[in-house]
Amino acid sequence: MTSPELRTEIEEFLYREARYADEFLLEEWEALLTDEFHYWVPAGRLQGDPSKQLAYLNDNRTRVATRIRQLQTGKRLSQIPNSPMRRVISNIEIESANDGEVLVKANFVIYELAAQSSGELRVWPGQAQYRLERVEGNLRMSAKWIELVTADAGQRNLTFLI
Amino acid sequence: MNKEDTESLNSIGPSCETVEMGINYRQLVRGDRIHGSLLHDPDVFAEEMEQIFVRGWAFVGHASEIKNNGDWVKRQLGNESVIMVRGDDGGINVLSNRCSHRGTALCWEHSGNNSFFQCTYHNWRFGLDGNLRAVPFPDGYSKPKEELGLNRAGQVANYRGFIFANLDGQAGFIDEHLGAAGYELIDRLCEMSPSGNLDLGKGWIGHRVQSNWKLWPESDSDGYHVGFVHASMSASTDTHYDDVAIGGDAVQSSRAVDYGKGHLELDWRPSYKQELSWLGVTRERVQDYYSALSQRVGNELADQMLWDGPPHAFLFPNLFLGETVIAIVEPVAPGEMIHRHTAVQFEGADDAFNERLLRQTEAAFGPASFITTDDAITAERVQAGVSGIDTSWASANRGWIDLSRGMHREAVDENGVRSSNSSDETTNRGFWYRYLEMMSEEVTR
Ligand code: FES
Ligand SMILES: [Fe+2]
Repeated sequence: MTSPELRTEIEEFLYREARYADEFLLEEWEALLTDEFHYWVPAGRLQGDPSKQLAYLNDNRTRVATRIRQLQTGKRLSQIPNSPMRRVISNIEIESANDGEVLVKANFVIYELAAQSSGELRVWPGQAQYRLERVEGNLRMSAKWIELVTADAGQRNLTFLI
Repeated sequence: MNKEDTESLNSIGPSCETVEMGINYRQLVRGDRIHGSLLHDPDVFAEEMEQIFVRGWAFVGHASEIKNNGDWVKRQLGNESVIMVRGDDGGINVLSNRCSHRGTALCWEHSGNNSFFQCTYHNWRFGLDGNLRAVPFPDGYSKPKEELGLNRAGQVANYRGFIFANLDGQAGFIDEHLGAAGYELIDRLCEMSPSGNLDLGKGWIGHRVQSNWKLWPESDSDGYHVGFVHASMSASTDTHYDDVAIGGDAVQSSRAVDYGKGHLELDWRPSYKQELSWLGVTRERVQDYYSALSQRVGNELADQMLWDGPPHAFLFPNLFLGETVIAIVEPVAPGEMIHRHTAVQFEGADDAFNERLLRQTEAAFGPASFITTDDAITAERVQAGVSGIDTSWASANRGWIDLSRGMHREAVDENGVRSSNSSDETTNRGFWYRYLEMMSEEVTR
């Protein structure tokens, strides 16, 4: 059983992570990650060994740093300007919680405006699975895995932090 | 511009004349430029789907995707949904995904394995060869079953696992379409595999882009944009494109090549400054792959391959050999398309090597990648630009897209192969020459 205090702490972490992503607060977002962070958006369900599959996105810590660096160059065409976007997170389930590690599942919907080109409003529904760890007293994210409802259907540009 | 605007533009004025006279492609595709309407006119799009994707040859998929009898994958060839299936005899059939009774789609998932296809409307049952096998209550029919099979591609060709189809069967032989260059480019890629075979079984990822499909043959074979569109990639990672495609004309020895028939290459080979630059590693990291490869082809050839890398080439009308990635250009509507890709996997290479290719593919291609995302946004911006009101048929001087770069310095060899500096639009012009041939059914040069 998760204590109400822990649950609140986890929810606040997820909301903060979501807001940093929505607002392109890249350094703040990166500071939430552990050194082993794994970021994965498969082209199907969240199952099997990510290393053996071809995914939309499969970043180890080094690659996610490159992803952030690319956004910070000021030359990333597909994010000039940054997409105005907001996401809603709900249905938060805390799967297992022991001292060091917490697994969390949550549903999300992202509304993104393709301000860089067509001005289309893009909707990104799915489930996020987070692995959170306590590092020096604070929660940090060591994995974020995303299962898109539209995973099988192909995607528009996904150049923000999902 | 929204769809209604486009339609109303085309329903008034000069386009009425166009409908009567047919679209004069020769007026719209000139040597040094093309007309922007070719990228957004719905009538042009409709004719392309027929002239290019029904009457011509197009890439469908790879034999390694359907290893066992009964394995199938669904593909889109222009307007046609097709099923590529391995039949009971082990051969590959390309069937229309449309019940011959009243047209219901037979397959709606991406892939599967079946011993027959059964329509869900009235349960007609078709063999893997498309023949009608059984219908419920057959005494209601006096027609012979043989007349009621699925439509099949008139011609199907398999070259080293690459499956091409010509739906109407009238396009001439595949040799004519691929030509020596088409075969050589496929060979060059396959030969890099330790076994000589590719495995393209990791699944295809769709990148949905709000642009005309023809903007992708253009950007996939465009050497001019790399340093600009991909500046953020170049600034944030070490990339081989820094050596082969970025920088002034003087430092570039890469070539833009038009082999004819719309088959194009950006030949990076002369620019590589070290072996394995295209993979971004040193030999120690891929020793197992090198050993396996050299066992088949010998050290000398294997060494050369490590330098040269796989081709960066486009085969008309829809196949991109993107070095360690294969992509299909899939038209959806005049301003909508899918760039669909999969990772090259070398049969006989070690797992670590093939995983490296997966990771390289994820970095380079697709909706969340570091590279083709910026091509996508660029294609969408071109689409927005050319779809404006300035591109009306009425004006002789407006709405053109210039493709003249490098015309004065192009070399033509004894086989008619044109080549130039890699930043020149030789490749783009090559695409449009072939396009004009297909659309006007006349030889252009
Ligand atoms: S439509 Fe397919 S069986 Fe009738
Ligand atoms: Fe590009």
